[in-house]
Amino acid sequence: MRFAIEGWAPEYGAPLDPAALADPATPADLGVEVPVEAWAPRRPAPGTAAPTSVLFVDGVRRVEARVWVTAEDGAVHQGICASYASGAVRSDGRARLVHARVARGLFCPARDAEPVVTRHATFPVRAVAGDDLEQLSLSLQRCMGDLEAEVATEVADAADLVVVDGPLKRGGAAPRAVGYVKTHHVGYLAAGPERVVAALAPGERTPLFVVISLSWSRYSWYVRLPGAEGHPWAGVVRCEVAADATVAEAAAVADRVTAALPRFASQPHKDPRAPQNLHPIAGLERELRRRLGDPALLYRALRSAAAAA
Amino acid sequence: MSDEEQVVGRVIGTEDATPLEFWVGVGEDAFLQLDDVVALERADLPGRDPVRIYGVVGQVRARHEGARFDSDVWLIEDGVLPAEVSEAAQVQATRFEPEVFVPPLPGQVVRRASGAERDQALFFDGMAKRLPAGLTRDDEPLYVNLEFLDGTRGAHVNISGISGVATKTTYATFLLYSLFHSGALGADAVNTKALIFNVKGEDLLFLDHPNTVLTSDDHDRYTKLGLTPGPFTSVDVFAPPRRGDATAKPDVTSRTEGVTSVFWTVQQFCEDELLPFLFADAEDDRQQYTMVVHNVTHRLTQHAQPAGDGAVTIDGRLVRTFRDLVEVVSAKVEDEAEGAEWAGRAIGAGTVGAFVRRLNGAVRHLEPLIRADVANPERHRVKFDAQVTVVDLHNLNDRAKRFVVGVVLRKAFEEKERAGQAKPLQFVVLDELNKYAPREGSSPIKEILLDVAERGRSLGIILIGAQQTASEVERRIVANSAIRVVGRLDAAEATRGEYGFLPQVQRQRATIIKPGTMLLSQPEIPVPLMVQFPFPAWATRAAEAGANPTATDHPDDPFSTFPKL
Repeated sequence: MRFAIEGWAPEYGAPLDPAALADPATPADLGVEVPVEAWAPRRPAPGTAAPTSVLFVDGVRRVEARVWVTAEDGAVHQGICASYASGAVRSDGRARLVHARVARGLFCPARDAEPVVTRHATFPVRAVAGDDLEQLSLSLQRCMGDLEAEVATEVADAADLVVVDGPLKRGGAAPRAVGYVKTHHVGYLAAGPERVVAALAPGERTPLFVVISLSWSRYSWYVRLPGAEGHPWAGVVRCEVAADATVAEAAAVADRVTAALPRFASQPHKDPRAPQNLHPIAGLERELRRRLGDPALLYRALRSAAAAA
Repeated sequence: MSDEEQVVGRVIGTEDATPLEFWVGVGEDAFLQLDDVVALERADLPGRDPVRIYGVVGQVRARHEGARFDSDVWLIEDGVLPAEVSEAAQVQATRFEPEVFVPPLPGQVVRRASGAERDQALFFDGMAKRLPAGLTRDDEPLYVNLEFLDGTRGAHVNISGISGVATKTTYATFLLYSLFHSGALGADAVNTKALIFNVKGEDLLFLDHPNTVLTSDDHDRYTKLGLTPGPFTSVDVFAPPRRGDATAKPDVTSRTEGVTSVFWTVQQFCEDELLPFLFADAEDDRQQYTMVVHNVTHRLTQHAQPAGDGAVTIDGRLVRTFRDLVEVVSAKVEDEAEGAEWAGRAIGAGTVGAFVRRLNGAVRHLEPLIRADVANPERHRVKFDAQVTVVDLHNLNDRAKRFVVGVVLRKAFEEKERAGQAKPLQFVVLDELNKYAPREGSSPIKEILLDVAERGRSLGIILIGAQQTASEVERRIVANSAIRVVGRLDAAEATRGEYGFLPQVQRQRATIIKPGTMLLSQPEIPVPLMVQFPFPAWATRAAEAGANPTATDHPDDPFSTFPKL
C-alpha cells in the first residue's frame, strides 16, 4: 500500500473532494489550446517574464453574533450580525496592503429591522431572502463578494496581474483578474487528461480548457505549486480567467501566472494550508481579520446595545 | 520649530502605559533615539488643569508587524509577505506638572521636547544654581543641581567604572573645572579648594598646562556649556620623594618643574599620632596587635622630644630617619623592662611580634616619606594654598598610599573642622575608594572617609570618590553620595544592588558605554542621564602639555648638592 499524508491541517479539510476525481458530468472543452491527444505538462513559454507587480485580492467574514429580531407583528426572525472585509496586497518588490475596506451588517429578513448601533460599530440592515442559517450565510458571502469585487476594481490598475482568491464571479472582478481556486470540488477532466495533472512538476501547468457553468465560460488550467508531494493532486491549484480574451492572450496570462505563483507558495510550517494558501493572501487575511476588530469587544458591545434597546 | 514639527508619535495601547513608564509608537517621518526628551499633555482630567508629562527615551525597538516566524523576514524583504515595520520607544517619565500621577492615554500625541520644555522635563528650570555636568549626544548641555553637591540639600559624588575605559578621574576633574569656572559657585569659587589624589600614572600632574591637542570642536563643546576651555589656573603638585635620594627630589618622571616633594618629619609623626595610619586594620578590634599600636602612639607623643629640623630624641637617642624610629620602637616594645609601658600590660610576646613584624615591613616603603634628614622640612609639608592641590601617589605601594591619603585627608578635615564654617568648600577627589574604605573591616582612613561622607556636608568638605566596583566600597559612603555617576561597568558588577538607581536598560548600556560617556543620577531627576563630557582642556600627559609659565621649579635648597659638613 502506498499512502501520503494530506498537507493541509485536518481542521481545514482537504483541498481535493473525491467527487472531483470522478468523471465530469459536464465535460469541459479541453482542446482550446492543444488537442486533447497532445495534452502534456507545459512550462511557461521561454521568455515569459513573471509580472513585476502582482495584486492579490481577498476577503474575510466573521459572524459576530446571532440575533433574534421580534417584528412589530410579534413574529420572531433569526438573523446574524456579521463583519466582513476585503482588501488587496500588492507585491512589487515589497508586499504592501494597498487597500482595505471593512463593512458590517445585520442579516435578517424581518421587514421592519433597523440598523444595530453599538458603542464600537454599527450594523446596517442587509437584504436576506429567508431566515434559515444557510440563507443568512449565503447573503453574507454575497456581500463580501461584492465588496471584494469593488476593491478589485478600485485597485486593478495598479498592477500587472490581479489574482483574486476564489473562483471568478460573473461581472464581478476586474476584467483582467485571475481567479485562484485552492479546492477542487468538481472534476473537469476526463481520465486521460487527468493524468497530465498527476504528471505536473512544480511550476508547470496543464493546457487551457474551457469551463462553462451557469452559462458563463472561463479559460481554466491547473498549476502545481512547489513544496507538496506524495499524491497526484498535491499542491495543485486551478486558475481561471474570463473567456472574453483570445486563446493566445489567455495562454499568455496563464504562462505569466504559472511563472509568478511558485514564489508566493507557502511552507507547511508556516501555513496549515500550504502550499496552496499563498503567503500574500494569508498575510492579507490576517490583516483583514485584525481590522474586523476584537470579536469579544464587539460581542460585548452587541449585548449591551441589545440590553439598552 | 512649531509644535507640529515636533510631533514624534503617539502613546501605544498594546503595552501598559503607567505614570512611570510608557511606550510611544514612532510616527512615519519621525524618529526617537535613546535619551531623547519628550513631552505630552493630558487635558481630560475633570476639574483639573491639564497635566504635562515629560520623559526620557530609555529604549527603542523596531519590529515587523504581521510576521510570525523569524524567517518571515526573508519573505517580507522578498515582497512575498505583507508586513509593516513598526518602531516604538519606551519612555521613562521624569516629571508631571502639576503633580497628578496619571498615565498618559493610548493615542495621545507625543512631542519632542526642546528649549524651555526640555529644561522643564529635566528639572533644569527649577535649579537655582546649576552646574554644567556634560552634554547630550546632540551637544545639548546637561546640568547638576548644585544644591545637591555643595551641601545645601546633599553632597558628594560617587563614580564607578572599569579602570582605563570609564574615565572616572577625568570626569571628576571635569566636574571640578566646571565648579571653578562656570560661575555656579558665585563669588565663593575663588576660595573654593580641591584636593586631588593622583593614584595612577602621571595624568593629573599637568592640570595647570593647556592641552595642545584640543580641537576647535572640543572648544565649541565647552562654549555650549558656558565654559571657556583652559587649564586650571592655580595648582600645587606634591609628590613623594624619590627612594634613596638624600635631597628628597620628587619621584616623578614626566613633569620636571613645579613639583614639590612631600614628606613628614619624625617629629610630626610622633606628635600628630600618625603611627596608626601605617596599619590598614588599626581600628579593628579583632586584631590583638592594634592595642600595641595605640599604646606606642601614645608613648611616642610623650617620649619624643624635638631635636631640631624635625628630628626627635627618644629617651636620649637621636632619631632622624624612619628606620631609626622603627629600631627604637622595636627595642622598646621587646625590652623586658620597658615592654609593659610601651606595648601595654599583659600583651603576649606573639602580639608584640606581630606588631614589630608589620612595623618592619613598613620601613622600606615609608622611609622616604617619614624623615628628618633634609634641611628646611617646612617646605615639604602639604599645603592647601592653591585652588587645586594634587598629591601624587602613583609610585607608592598600597601601604604608603594609605598612609599619605589618611594623613593628608585628616589634615584637610581638621583644618575644615577648625575653620568652623562650610564655605568656601573643600573638594576631595579620591580614586580607588575600595582600597581606602573597603566594605569589610575598619581602619583609621576608613573612619576619616566615613566622617567626611557623613559630616562633610555640614563641614563643607565634599568627597568626589571613585572606584571600579561600588559593591566593594563601604555602603555608607556610597549611600551618602547625592550624585552617582557610572562609566563603563563590568557586566557582573552592573547587576549588583549598588546600581539599583539604574533602570534595567541603563545597566545594560553601562556595560558598553565608551570613554567620555557617563550615566549620571541626581536626586531630583528620577532617570539617570547619559552625559558626555568634552575632551580635557588641560593636559593629561607630557605630550599634550602646552607651556605654563607659572610652573617653574624653585629648588628647595640651592646648596643641597654640596657635601654636608
